[in-house]
Amino acid sequence: MTESLNVTVDRREGLAVLYTEGYINNQGGEEIAKLAYKLIDEGYKVLLLNLAGTKIVNSIGISILIEIIEKMIEIDGKLGFCCLTPTIEKTFHIMGLAQYAPIFKDEAAAVAQLGA
Amino acid sequence: MAGAPQQAWDELLTLARDETSDRVLLDRLLDLWRREHGAEAAALYAEKAGLLRQEAAAGSGLPAVFDESSSRPEVGVLRIPGGRLLCLPASAAEAGAGDPLTLLLAATLKNCRLKADLKEQQFQVNYRVVELEALYDVGLAVAATLDLDRLSEEILLRAVSLLDARRGALYVLEDGRYRLDRTFGGEAGGWFDHDHPELRDFLLGGDTAPADLLPAARYLLGVPIQVESGARGLLAVGDKESRRGVGPFLPGDRRTLGLFANQAAIALENARLHLQALEKERLEREMHLAAEIQRQILPKGAPQVEGYAMAGWNRPARQVGGDYYDLFLMRGDRLGVVVGDVSGKGIPAALMVSVLHSALHLLLDQTELGPPLLERLNRHILESSTPNKFITMLLADLDLASGTFHYINAGHNPGLLLRRDGRVEELGASGVPLGLLAGILYQSRFATLEPGDLVCLYSDGITEAESPTDEEFGTDRLLDLMREHQDRPLQELLEAIPAAVTAFSQGSPQGDDQTLVLLRRE
Repeated sequence: MTESLNVTVDRREGLAVLYTEGYINNQGGEEIAKLAYKLIDEGYKVLLLNLAGTKIVNSIGISILIEIIEKMIEIDGKLGFCCLTPTIEKTFHIMGLAQYAPIFKDEAAAVAQLGA
Repeated sequence: MAGAPQQAWDELLTLARDETSDRVLLDRLLDLWRREHGAEAAALYAEKAGLLRQEAAAGSGLPAVFDESSSRPEVGVLRIPGGRLLCLPASAAEAGAGDPLTLLLAATLKNCRLKADLKEQQFQVNYRVVELEALYDVGLAVAATLDLDRLSEEILLRAVSLLDARRGALYVLEDGRYRLDRTFGGEAGGWFDHDHPELRDFLLGGDTAPADLLPAARYLLGVPIQVESGARGLLAVGDKESRRGVGPFLPGDRRTLGLFANQAAIALENARLHLQALEKERLEREMHLAAEIQRQILPKGAPQVEGYAMAGWNRPARQVGGDYYDLFLMRGDRLGVVVGDVSGKGIPAALMVSVLHSALHLLLDQTELGPPLLERLNRHILESSTPNKFITMLLADLDLASGTFHYINAGHNPGLLLRRDGRVEELGASGVPLGLLAGILYQSRFATLEPGDLVCLYSDGITEAESPTDEEFGTDRLLDLMREHQDRPLQELLEAIPAAVTAFSQGSPQGDDQTLVLLRRE
């Protein structure tokens, strides 16, 4: 296992999906934020974070994800999460992320809901 | 302020009513301030961790962090509660001093800071809940997760995540050494002695850890994983993260990691015991199967031969044993009789029994039962066994018509021949046990069985069975039973001897495998 994070983006019609692989910590969170803000600048207002490749997230990573959520609210956009491990899903609920960014079991359900 | 256009005030009023737009309100107010006071640029700074950091800016040219000692003359500085308002040029600040718009700006900044502090505190409270949940979850895993591998990974990932560490390692204690089980975020040393002085001090709270514990980490924190009966491993995390990079762990982190390790210890111990139980169960199943195979090797009954009665019996000390016997007809007019005892007990002895049985019957297809067969068997056993393994054996060939009983005793207990008139003859050794020496020659001896003569071949598990006072059952008791049952059905003697041995032992554990072969000419 590695502490670094890889993020790839799939740009679709009206929606961009970010796939993470690795640790969402300070570096990983910044990497996601950089890409998310770039996508916002490109005009994307709906983002989906697919965390299937992530087993671990820390408080710094969460605080950065909260900032991305705030940014999405600011631009009247939507952000969702999918494919979370049970531990990460529980953490997101406790930390309040789920209150502002819906969590979906799989990508298909997320795309169906966010894209609607 | 009075000069501000109505449209601007309307916008500000709308923003003030919206709780989510404090930042936007601050930006708009600052921009209004800049325009009202003819400034090219204006920026607001709030005190944070001993520094004045920029919170909002209208226009450019002002620093991200303001250092009062290096203030430039062209920059105007206004002190406001909890921060500063800087502007370019400095002349714009004069009109701003005591201006209601400046006060409004200061109040909005303070409001923003309070909200940010509240948000941070809420975040910290929530994260404490995440920590407690992690402890609770690992506690639950005691009952739920018995997969040691999955549990170990979960424990390491949660420890790294909880402590905001960048890397970590889990070591398990095995045979007095800490063995690396897994790492996260970098390599680690393979193992450390349990009493490694530097490691021991480090786990007790010392600052210095062995260099290989988690080499990539600049800052380390480690705690032992221990249950009531002692240490089971250690958990180490490295490099505490913050938004500014990595640094040392905080004093409270040792306690958090320690609490987590205590919960993890119980979970790991539970999973380890479960694994052991599964392994024991598997071994028991295999032993059961081995015992079944061995039962197939031993004869299911004795040949029915007119003029003779014969029977065999075996009771291993464990599930499987190292004793062997066989009774078989050869060409219809001869009877083969074998009793053997492999040195040792349990699985190794049982495997040798299997080797002996196969080799003996293969050789019997090619050779007469006699010294040459035993010599070839000796060679085979010598080649097939470890140096300390040997087999004692009494092998006999009975001519059913004449009663001539040829026997070879390879280091086995002397068989007992009780004549009808009460005399006893011993069928003693005529060679060394099989598997000890190469090139051994065996000699055959014989006795003639007359009607009423009773032969008893046995293993030393019978005669050396011990009472609670360490007395051996002995051959005298065996002979007494033979005499007592000489004219009774043979089956009665076959049941009487084991019953007498069991009664003699009075519940003492059976120390050795027990085997009996009885043969009487009617």
